[in-house]
Amino acid sequence: MQYAIEFNSASVIDGPTVLLKNITFSVPHGGKALITGPTGSGKSSVLLALMGAYPVVNGTVYYDGTPVTSETVSILRKSIGYIAQEPVLGEGTVREGLLMPFTFRANRSRAPSETAIHDAFDRLQLPRALLDRDISLVSGGEKQRIAIARTLLLGKNVFVVDEITSALDEASNSVVLDLFTQSRATVLAVSHHPRWSERFDMRIKMERGAVTTVTDSRKDGNEQYA
Amino acid sequence: MNNTLDIGLPGLLAMYVMLLAPLAIMAFFIRGLVKKTVVSIVRMSVQLTLVGIYLRYIFEFNNAYVNIAWVLVMIVVASVNVLGTGGLNRKLLLSRTVLGIGLSTLIVLSVFILAGVRPEPLYDARYMIPLGGMVLGNCMRGNVISLERFFSGIRDNRKEYMSSLFMGATIREACRPWLRKALSSALTPTVSTMATMGIVSLPGMMTGQILGGSNPLTAIKYQIAIMIAIFVAVSLGAWLNLNLCMRSGFDERGMLRRDILR
Repeated sequence: MQYAIEFNSASVIDGPTVLLKNITFSVPHGGKALITGPTGSGKSSVLLALMGAYPVVNGTVYYDGTPVTSETVSILRKSIGYIAQEPVLGEGTVREGLLMPFTFRANRSRAPSETAIHDAFDRLQLPRALLDRDISLVSGGEKQRIAIARTLLLGKNVFVVDEITSALDEASNSVVLDLFTQSRATVLAVSHHPRWSERFDMRIKMERGAVTTVTDSRKDGNEQYA
Repeated sequence: MNNTLDIGLPGLLAMYVMLLAPLAIMAFFIRGLVKKTVVSIVRMSVQLTLVGIYLRYIFEFNNAYVNIAWVLVMIVVASVNVLGTGGLNRKLLLSRTVLGIGLSTLIVLSVFILAGVRPEPLYDARYMIPLGGMVLGNCMRGNVISLERFFSGIRDNRKEYMSSLFMGATIREACRPWLRKALSSALTPTVSTMATMGIVSLPGMMTGQILGGSNPLTAIKYQIAIMIAIFVAVSLGAWLNLNLCMRSGFDERGMLRRDILR
């Protein structure tokens, strides 16, 4: 079976530091997988390894059946929607920040219409008036939702998201959670929020750079030990 | 034309004695800088003395090949200095920096000499070497700023850079904000110098020519020409070098190499 995302005994380093040891798990197309674990257990590193930020020294990381290597990484980055915990929106107005990635050649043809922008803002319950505000005046929670809106506008069908509701209240958290869990997209997320854990089919538990358990609720809670 | 008053040895010594004042201030407030300053003063004195002796022979000899070779040596030394001062990886960047600084300096110097001054012979050391030195010195300063700002900007804003990269940007696209900042910080000093020139300070070249007995109007024409030459060389050099060096600063995955900055 070809998975959307697959880590096969992958070990990852950053300079002299071993970030991930022997990681194995796979997420099918359309699957929703949540990585949990204490701070410093390597959750974010898994996401960054998939995005090709670090070299894989042992094993393989696959995206859509293709190994993530220096040759394939730029293609992969064009098709994954990655959102960091502290999103970077750039300088200027929210609209400028929102449209910034569309100045890149890879996204130029996808530049969104005003209607699409409004639609994305409505879905995330962001007031449209925010569009003309300066980014420096926008709150952390709004920034997170603007970054999500921007990634939605980029039209990806795989999302890799890192604690993206950490600055959101319960209501906004639910909106974002619904958005991801009800979509057809493949989602690999890191979150500490208990509601996320309830709603995702797969839970990957990590500790000290290694996967301890993988649970898949669609397989009747059948636990696979890594 | 040779009517400049010579500075006697006691006179020069008096100038050195004056250095005690800043050194005393440093000893109290920024002790760490004293040693560095003394080394710099000694280096300046020794280098200039050697160059003075060397230039006398070069001017007498005035051979095209020797003159050009001297300019090339200056280009290599300037490039080594750019990478050293900027704390950048010499092994990775030296050949590119030599190419960038060399090209920009040689283009500007050629126009200056072949179209502007037209000395007889064209390779006359009295023109080629001091003009080359002035252009190169400024080009060097501009490149230290632009390359250092560029790479340290990306290192200090890794998240911003990666965010663009992860949204599908090419390395060049993701680098754009720091490219812009680096170029502007390299050019700003020259732009502001040009704006105040003649009012705040009488520039070095003009002062030198006036002391040497030149007509102030000739001196001004030289000063305008050299300022334009410097500005063109700094912008061209900074732009060329950023473009040449950019790719070497990143690994195959587009991440900034750890060893690019010391």
